[in-house]
Amino acid sequence: MLKFIVRRALWTIPVVLLVVFMTFVMMRQIKGNPFQVTERAVPVSIQRNLDRKYHLNKPWYTQYLYYVKGVFTADLGPSLVQRNQGVNDIIKEHFPVSLKLGGLAMLWAVVFGIPLGIIAALKQNSVFDYAVMTVVNSGYAIPNFLIATLLIYFFALKWRAYTPFPTNGWGGPSSWVLPAIALGHAPMTFFARIVRGSMLETLQQDYIRTAKAKGLRWRRVVGLHVLRNSLIPAVTAAAPLLGFLITGSFIVETIFGIPGIGKYFVTSVTGRDYSVTMGITIMLSLIIIVANLVVDILYGYLDPRTRDVRT
Amino acid sequence: MVTDRRSEFEATLTRTAEARGQEAGAALQRASLLRDAIHRFIRNRAAVVAAVAFVVMVGFVILTPWLSHGSAYGVDFAQAYKSPSWAHPFGTDEFGRDLLVRTALGGRVSIAIGFAATIAIMIVGILYGAISGFAGGRIDDMLMRFLDALYGLPYLPFAIITLAIFGTVNFWTMVVALTIASWFTTARVMRGQIITLKENDYVRAANALGARWYRVLFRHLLPNTLGVILIFVFLELPGVVLGEAFLSFIGLGISPPKASWGTLAQDGYSAYEAHPYIIIIPSLAIAWLILSAFFVADGLRDALDPRTRET
Repeated sequence: MLKFIVRRALWTIPVVLLVVFMTFVMMRQIKGNPFQVTERAVPVSIQRNLDRKYHLNKPWYTQYLYYVKGVFTADLGPSLVQRNQGVNDIIKEHFPVSLKLGGLAMLWAVVFGIPLGIIAALKQNSVFDYAVMTVVNSGYAIPNFLIATLLIYFFALKWRAYTPFPTNGWGGPSSWVLPAIALGHAPMTFFARIVRGSMLETLQQDYIRTAKAKGLRWRRVVGLHVLRNSLIPAVTAAAPLLGFLITGSFIVETIFGIPGIGKYFVTSVTGRDYSVTMGITIMLSLIIIVANLVVDILYGYLDPRTRDVRT
Repeated sequence: MVTDRRSEFEATLTRTAEARGQEAGAALQRASLLRDAIHRFIRNRAAVVAAVAFVVMVGFVILTPWLSHGSAYGVDFAQAYKSPSWAHPFGTDEFGRDLLVRTALGGRVSIAIGFAATIAIMIVGILYGAISGFAGGRIDDMLMRFLDALYGLPYLPFAIITLAIFGTVNFWTMVVALTIASWFTTARVMRGQIITLKENDYVRAANALGARWYRVLFRHLLPNTLGVILIFVFLELPGVVLGEAFLSFIGLGISPPKASWGTLAQDGYSAYEAHPYIIIIPSLAIAWLILSAFFVADGLRDALDPRTRET
């Protein structure tokens, strides 16, 4: 097991290097010296100093090494638009907000998604099951900008008199509810679907029939055998969920005007603040890589068969 | 939201390949296999309804601009923000343009981008996967490691950066950006298919008879993956359409007065307080397309491998 963990952990190093390399190469393809783009004319001497400060006068491979060094020492360089701020400052300022929003969304997804999946599976083909499956299908079909907009429209505008939710911003807990639901909807349906599917599969297993045949009470069969075995897929579903949350946060944070990293990413793209765009991309990639690592190790722990197959 | 369905399909598709490998022997038998598959698909009510719904949407998108006399580009402020009525079944937008026709035209763009990107994804993915699976050994190892590294990355940021590199957003840059961001799953599945099919007796026989490698690949292996390719067309298409909608929604869509469903939704978002129907209509169109495509894919999979039916 230890060998597996070490091997799997070492594998992340080339992956990180590849990601940084790809991002760096792509960044260089975007035309123009970042400091010449502005309308303000910069004197040549200052231009030269700026170039020197950010190593722009060095050949590209030196720049790349500086950038890699920056990534590993957690220094993602300066913002091109907001001169007095580094990418680090921006991430430090905005990321906690996104983390909180993502956490709340996950909470919503787990608290509602897993029970919905369990009950739907236990009452397969009932009205409740069909209702859950309808909601589940809406989860991946209806774009979350519609869900976010409708939540605002009804809860913050139409029924404003009866609900405490503001239309946008990130103030107290009442402003957290709608964004968390909007962001958590897709993961919730994802959990419900995964749990329902694996429950149905587990319910057909021989050991369930055996447990029933030996006279175990149904509630105990479910609690002891079914749940334990069918929640594993929900654990391993965490990695693609991060993708949901990141993609979703771009939209949801923009719509609700939440000062998180997703909104800032969108702003940096439209404002052509490429070093910020790249910095956030790399940070998100690192998070996903680490999450994959954790999930793989967890999976290797839960299901020993996968230890040899996966690196 | 986009990748999860595809990875779920991965597991069952390997079984599909095995099933086909066992049954696809003589040409005569293969013909009956195809007829069987068609028969099973037609008997699957959900799949047929979905297929009809899909065709209806494509028909709506193609035919409406010819049949309706509403104006998609003509600006008429007297007609601005009319709610749905007989003259304008979907209402009008801020410039008084008819939303029925605009939705259809936007759908043309969205679906065309969807199909173009899907075809590109198929070409890249099939080539990569087929080479990897067919070559095996070291090459396979290397290609798959590279793919693994790319796999967990947040796809939207990379699509956004690709668009930033191009500097402009139009039909083709959008297709390239979406393709770059989402060919991985197809490649992985194709590799799995080729590897499974390679183990079949008729491939061994072909090799033993001295067939060249390209004959084995193009004559025996690739034709047998057609079913899976067809399934993946219907799995990739919704993902790409949704991806395009996301990019358009955060302001990276194709430029006005042209529109896609994503840019229409963005227009609707800026006026949702007073006129929520403007964002609802294109969003529901997206949902319609995604749902019907997924159920068609589901039906195709069940038709090609009857053993997956129960789950």
